[in-house]
Amino acid sequence: MPDIIVYIFVVLTLIGGIVAAVARQVLYNIIGLGISLLGLAGLFLNLGSPFVAAMQVLIYIGGITVAIVFAMMLSIAMSLLPPTPNMAKRVFAILSGIVFFVALASMIMGTHFNSVEPAAQAAWSVGQIGHALLTTYNLVFETLSLVLLLAIIGAILIARKDTSTP
Amino acid sequence: MTLHAYLLVSLALFSLGLIGALSHRNLIALLIGTELMMNAASLNFMAFNRYVVTDPTVGQIFVLIIIGLAAAEVAIFLSIILRLYRAYHDIDSEKLVELKG
Repeated sequence: MPDIIVYIFVVLTLIGGIVAAVARQVLYNIIGLGISLLGLAGLFLNLGSPFVAAMQVLIYIGGITVAIVFAMMLSIAMSLLPPTPNMAKRVFAILSGIVFFVALASMIMGTHFNSVEPAAQAAWSVGQIGHALLTTYNLVFETLSLVLLLAIIGAILIARKDTSTP
Repeated sequence: MTLHAYLLVSLALFSLGLIGALSHRNLIALLIGTELMMNAASLNFMAFNRYVVTDPTVGQIFVLIIIGLAAAEVAIFLSIILRLYRAYHDIDSEKLVELKG
């Protein structure tokens, strides 16, 4: 992939992240999150995995972002009138974010990683992922499906209306 | 782009998620900050998967699991938000202080 396209994806990711982090209106936060996730999907594509990029677009942008929009619509009052910001809290948040960034960035720049040659194209195929999921990582796969089932049941139980109360 | 560049992008995204999760009062905005942090983690996994690991399926499976767990987390979180909104007519994290000592 040409470098310029990769940089466009990086810029999309970061600008979306900034909008998602600092905008006051919740709807703008959600749109920023969507843009950021789209840029990340492009980066995944550049890192050699079209399947994960497609799953990112399908599940994250198509599913999770839309679910968050629904929650915003169902709890509309606060989303339309954002409360007055707590300035001390914002300053503290931004300071801690900057400190975290500087500390880890200096650590990353000081570390040398032994890079290896990227694996052959065949090792990146969807077939390889499926094979690994059903053999080596079978337990993880089953656990994840159990977690998803429990999440569905739990979400229904928590969100349903109480019919027992008179 | 090198591995270090990817790590820095992912670190910037994580810091933005941290700022978003710490500075907002709306529970939905907190959820969005958490999502940004999880995505920064998956970008890290993919970058290491491409540049350091010899078997490239590991990182991809990690990212798929992160996506699945994020879906489960969002479902539970949103149902809790609906429940809170029905009980208090508000999802401001600074007003939900009934259990505060």
